[in-house]
Amino acid sequence: MPAQTIVVVFLRGGADGLALVPPMDDPTLRRLRPTLASRRPIPLGPTLCPSGETGSCPAELGLHPELAPLVPAFRAGELAIVHAVGSDDATRSHFDAQERMERAGVRAGSEPSGWLARHLRTRVGPEPSTLSSVAIGTSVPDSLASAPAVAVLESVDDLVASATTRDPALRRALAALHGDAHDPIHEAGRDAMAAIDRLARTRPTRRSRAYGVLPFGRALAEVARLVRADVGLEAATIDLGGWDTHLAQSTALDTPARTLAEGLAAFRADLGDAMEHVVVVVMTELGRRAYENAALGTDHGRASVMLLLGGGVRGGRVVTRWPGLDPASLEPPGDLRVTIDYRDVLAELVGVRLGSTRVGEVFPGWAPGALGLFGST
Amino acid sequence: MNRREALVATALGACTVATAGCDRVVGALARASGHGLPRTLRAPSAAHKSAARHLLDRAAFGPWPGDVEHVERVGIARWIDEQLAPSHIDDDACAMRTAAIDVGWVPADLLFELRPEDIERQLVTDTLLRAVYSRRQLQEVLVGFWLDHFNVAIGKSLCSHLEATYVRDVIRPNALGSFRSLLGAVTTSGAMLVYLDGRDNRRSSRREVPVPSPAEGPNENHARELLELHTLGVRSGYDQHDVMEAARCLSGWVVDERWAPGRARFVPERHDDGAKTVLGATLPPGHGARDVDLLLDVLVRRPECATHVARALCRHFVSDDPPESVVRSASASFVRTGGHIGQTVRTILTSPELARAVDQKVKRPFRFVVSALRALAAETHARLDVGDALARMGHAPFRWPTPDGYPDHAGAWLGTLPARWAFALALVEGRIDGTSVEPPALVRALATTDADDTTATLFAHLIGRRPRADELDPVVAYVETTRRRDRALALMLASPAFQRH
Repeated sequence: MPAQTIVVVFLRGGADGLALVPPMDDPTLRRLRPTLASRRPIPLGPTLCPSGETGSCPAELGLHPELAPLVPAFRAGELAIVHAVGSDDATRSHFDAQERMERAGVRAGSEPSGWLARHLRTRVGPEPSTLSSVAIGTSVPDSLASAPAVAVLESVDDLVASATTRDPALRRALAALHGDAHDPIHEAGRDAMAAIDRLARTRPTRRSRAYGVLPFGRALAEVARLVRADVGLEAATIDLGGWDTHLAQSTALDTPARTLAEGLAAFRADLGDAMEHVVVVVMTELGRRAYENAALGTDHGRASVMLLLGGGVRGGRVVTRWPGLDPASLEPPGDLRVTIDYRDVLAELVGVRLGSTRVGEVFPGWAPGALGLFGST
Repeated sequence: MNRREALVATALGACTVATAGCDRVVGALARASGHGLPRTLRAPSAAHKSAARHLLDRAAFGPWPGDVEHVERVGIARWIDEQLAPSHIDDDACAMRTAAIDVGWVPADLLFELRPEDIERQLVTDTLLRAVYSRRQLQEVLVGFWLDHFNVAIGKSLCSHLEATYVRDVIRPNALGSFRSLLGAVTTSGAMLVYLDGRDNRRSSRREVPVPSPAEGPNENHARELLELHTLGVRSGYDQHDVMEAARCLSGWVVDERWAPGRARFVPERHDDGAKTVLGATLPPGHGARDVDLLLDVLVRRPECATHVARALCRHFVSDDPPESVVRSASASFVRTGGHIGQTVRTILTSPELARAVDQKVKRPFRFVVSALRALAAETHARLDVGDALARMGHAPFRWPTPDGYPDHAGAWLGTLPARWAFALALVEGRIDGTSVEPPALVRALATTDADDTTATLFAHLIGRRPRADELDPVVAYVETTRRRDRALALMLASPAFQRH
């Protein structure tokens, strides 16, 4: 059976859930955002409460027009949206909130580790291999900190083309220099060489034009190539920036939103049936203030959205305990309240979708509640 | 005409004759003026780095050949004194190399005549040339540090132009002096006001605010990062209310785009001139543009600010997770000297904690590249290729997108090893445009007698100590089987030992 792959797309900068998936025809939102809430969202139908819950009133939510490429996946039941989701980090700091979310509660310390790393260390199955986890870019994100082995690459071909593969004696010397010492540089060097060797054996494939020319599309194309090459990829991370819309949000948000949606749509189309073995998680460190600022942007807020796309996702639904936007419901000074903890979503992914029996170690100190996001629809 | 002007005039004169050879002429002149390879060098023979070498690995971008001997000659304390007074250090040789770079001298408003991509290329070249060739090494190390601490990403809007004056007129002149002066210059710089949207932070004209809030919704971006990153640090006691009040203090600053492009200007009508309360301190109404100064005074006087800045410096100079004891002494020094950067740095550089932290830092790609070029006394014009190599390692100067600056801990950079190996190979094989190294000259200066010893001596020169057998043997074996001495040199640069400093 092919590996199951989690692809984490982290929207760095605090993506505005209230703009990406806004309430339909909400007079309060129009009052809070007189210049921002102008374009009509794509209706998604009534929201659902987390599994087994009743009582919280449903809302009508819609999709930002630039996210239109995601509609087919939603209608096909492969894309689920979770709203009013976030963390307990109330600093409203990008960096603090990102680190906390990626470490999932485990603070930096003697053995800092990320949630993906802990999952790879605790899941059942064969030992993680060289390409079990891949960070697309130039650095390892906190979610993969202390992972068994992480390959960092922007492009498989570029990595393989490095001259070390052309001079076997040099390659041997380099391997000897990185010996067997338990030292971060030695380990990183060994991991990199093993990854290069393994990747050199995969066949380059033609990249779908639908990915476009932006780094985000290229990154997804690299992940798709690794999935198809069946190298045992279990976790891939991709960052997408551009969400820190303090200024002129109504135009500033269009490009990252379109980039996200077109990229994910191209990825889904490219993988086709192989999407069954993949789950894409889209998350962000914080949402944005419910009311606009004097620069027609929004400042840092609290809750935002998460997206889940792929096999085993009970899609076509928006799951939320919608807190509402009236003044009494907002968290001062005016932020959408967090009513679903991001760890509930990730814990369900790890426990239900991936069948881990050690969710408690992946999310220590957290007792996850059931949301019903995975399983047969 | 003084010596520098004479040299520059000669160099530029030669350049008009043969543009293609300009770099070579300047390089040769720079070497002739006393910045080349010394005739003789002493390779380290001890198993551990000397104190002088360790200092140069932290307070400089690694030694230029002969630097260790120089530090040992003048003594560590005096060398630090020299470095803390950069204007007294003769840096003509480096100035000659950077003289023809527009961004180094063109007046602020004329910079807008240049294309953004040219400005960026020139800035990267200027930064690299100074890091490799300047004798004011500590100043350049601190310029790099502050450019992370007060990061302004060049890709955002007018920053493509403003970055040039930001580095030249805001950061470099203030890099070693008073933190308060540096902070003041940064906070009201055109670059920062554009980058963190401060120029769009104004008193709201909206009467009715839908949600009860102490401020009328000015733009909080700049204020939040001022507290979180620039001065106090996250979770240091301020809250959302303080951020909003600080934003009110900062309101009203704009950046001119027409008459004096890039210049920051205060517009009273856009300023919220009411009373403010920040961190328990009351700022009376009616102070207009002075609100910024009052706010910064409040922040810099907080003990959290001293600790935050001291910790960042210790992380940079000592180790990724510096001992609390050195953070405390650096912080005390900061407080005692009224926030003097140079004195705080001196405390760190002379601390026992630093002495014990040999090789505990992993070089970031910029330092990896620069330290290699310095160790080999490379000749480089530092244009496109070197900058591109840095981009492939994820460390292109001025390109970090978010306000926290490039990470200053090893974990973030361990994925860059293959790109470092590729750079090392390209460097020794002469595949980096405008960049050359001459290992034979270095070997001659190191005066090794027999061939077997050459590898060990060169390796020791690069890493500042005698290589261990497990480090040396793979390289020696490679030379024996292939006879490729150039690639053997690349192996040394690619070795784990050379990644540490």
